[in-house]
Amino acid sequence: MKKSFLALLVAAVAFAAAGTGGASTQSPQAAGRALLTCGKTRTIGLLAPITGPAASIGGLQVKWAQYYVSAYNRTHSTKFKLMKADTQLGGPNGNAEALKSAQSIRGNAKVLAVVGPAGSNEVKGTTSVLKGGGLGWVSGSATNTTLTTDGTRTGYFFRTVPPDSAQSKSVSHYIISTLKLKKVYIIDDQEAYSTGLADEVEAQLKAGGVDTTRDGVSQQQSDFSSLIAKIPRDTQLVYIPWQLPPKGQAFGQQMKQAGKGSIKLMGSDGLFDPLFSGVGSNVYDSFFPVQPADPVIKAYKRTHGGSGDYFGAPSYVAAQVVGGAIDRACKDGKASRAEVRRQIAKTKLKSTLLGLPVSFTKGGDLKGGAFGIYQSKNGDFARVG
Amino acid sequence: MNWSLFFDLTVSGLTLGSVYALIALGYSMVYGILKLLNFAHGDVYMIGAFIGWFALHGLGGPISPDVGAWVVTTFMFLAAMLGCGLLGVVIERFAYRPLRNAPRIAPLISALGVSFFLQNSALLLFGAAFRDYDSFDLIGARTRHVGNVYFGTPQILTVSGAIVLMVVLTLVVARTTVGKAMRATSFDREAAAMMGIDVDRVISVTFFLGSALAGAAGVMFGLVFGQVYHYMGFIAGLKGFTAAVIGGIGSIPGAMVGGILVGLLESYATGYLPQGSTFQNLYVFAFLIIVILLRPSGLLGRAAIQKV
Repeated sequence: MKKSFLALLVAAVAFAAAGTGGASTQSPQAAGRALLTCGKTRTIGLLAPITGPAASIGGLQVKWAQYYVSAYNRTHSTKFKLMKADTQLGGPNGNAEALKSAQSIRGNAKVLAVVGPAGSNEVKGTTSVLKGGGLGWVSGSATNTTLTTDGTRTGYFFRTVPPDSAQSKSVSHYIISTLKLKKVYIIDDQEAYSTGLADEVEAQLKAGGVDTTRDGVSQQQSDFSSLIAKIPRDTQLVYIPWQLPPKGQAFGQQMKQAGKGSIKLMGSDGLFDPLFSGVGSNVYDSFFPVQPADPVIKAYKRTHGGSGDYFGAPSYVAAQVVGGAIDRACKDGKASRAEVRRQIAKTKLKSTLLGLPVSFTKGGDLKGGAFGIYQSKNGDFARVG
Repeated sequence: MNWSLFFDLTVSGLTLGSVYALIALGYSMVYGILKLLNFAHGDVYMIGAFIGWFALHGLGGPISPDVGAWVVTTFMFLAAMLGCGLLGVVIERFAYRPLRNAPRIAPLISALGVSFFLQNSALLLFGAAFRDYDSFDLIGARTRHVGNVYFGTPQILTVSGAIVLMVVLTLVVARTTVGKAMRATSFDREAAAMMGIDVDRVISVTFFLGSALAGAAGVMFGLVFGQVYHYMGFIAGLKGFTAAVIGGIGSIPGAMVGGILVGLLESYATGYLPQGSTFQNLYVFAFLIIVILLRPSGLLGRAAIQKV
């Protein structure tokens, strides 16, 4: 009995030592240096909320990334393949699903770089896994300002949307100068993206002389009635920088039920969705730069029944950035994740569907670009600022 | 004192509390008769909400229903209650009855298993997207107000519907033969069986009634708060369970009182306490701990007498 216990203990210690040793001794630099024969088909990881509360916007990102891959594969002798993994943004398990998916992508040696994930909190949550695997990753929607300023992901993380520091300026400028409002209620959804953006807008509105009240609510909640009861009836606008369109829709509907439907409601890029615009004509939103007249968007619309699915469009550019970087890194037939990362950083796309050229700052931010302001008209968002 | 805010929060708390009370009743009834914490109950409520949604869309949807809005609403409630009642009976028959004489931990694990089974089945069958009741178009467009207190038809329907269901349940338990059998089984299952009561049938009826109430609560939630989704049962189930414990698990009036208390507490916490909407669960569960410390058997529960 004693002997077998001792043997078990030794085995457990050996197993633990082997496991931790393998994981901790390899630096991100070393993990990314392993050379891979590129071959004819190259693999791109795709992290997106395919299911869960944010599935309506995640599905658009998948469609646009897939659209890039299909278009590329039709015109090139080499091919791309997407390894899709679901992050279930806003789901009951928090970042756990995103983390699992990131681990599965990291563990696939064929993956050279990643498109996504969608949410800023997910970017933060998956950083150690993706960076630990030496992967570069490009998000088409994560806008939290600190993602590129805290130095944690420099050289690894990039995004094809401007940061919230740009979004907050567009929002507060529109509220102060165009709508000329004096009383605003701000409700964040307690996630990194939402609180960061709400902080910035709140500070700018206060500086502009607007009377602001701040509140917060969990993304897991569906009953907003008591929160709505707190909003004074003379409030002119409620600002909800959330990332789950169904929650924005529910909030708008419950505002109406509480007799507060006449108060203007403004969301952010995460709520740029027909679910939210369908709430009513007093609904506003801010959104990434996207150029609807761009030939790629027109072609996409033709093949997707006339819908622009604009929320996913920056993910097309993210896939374009990753695809270009892999092509350049694979010129000699072999590439490492580190090489692809370096090529992502060097990206220079002269013309994109964003309506601006794409290159990155040292921190990984898109150079240039501003958010537009939209208002719901007949159930769809139309640009007003 | 801002009375308008107070009354708004009260309306909101009573509405939410009515939903919790109906869920709590199911927990309490099953616990009273089997001493089982049926953790799948929250997911039965979720299935009820989905059945209501399918009933609504089967009759043309909320914007242009094939029949009158009140016929649609009644049909939604009946379908959800019947569907969930039958689901409860099936769950009891296949997941709990075979374990009735097993150690108490076994049916508890089985209940957790059923909970995950239902949640994942809903994900598989109905998808991950939120389903919108759009009750505003169906019955909610008219908002009423008395002074500065606003309430819509869904709120009135939820509170009055919950009161009616609770009264009916109380009458069933107190005045009918099956109710008498339920009370006897709850008091002493073996003695009840020896007196000729079909205990299996009584337990099935209990599951049917408790689950039907959860189905009604699911439809009420959809009508008031707009959306249903596959994991909505988890937190609602937890709150319903909390309500049952606060009221005194096993006690029907206790479940009602507990549900309303939890709803009001959540609402007032959101309205008055610092960061209330962020930390409402902290306040609710802190209250649960205080109640349990002061009255371990809940507000209206009776301390169990250990027979030796």
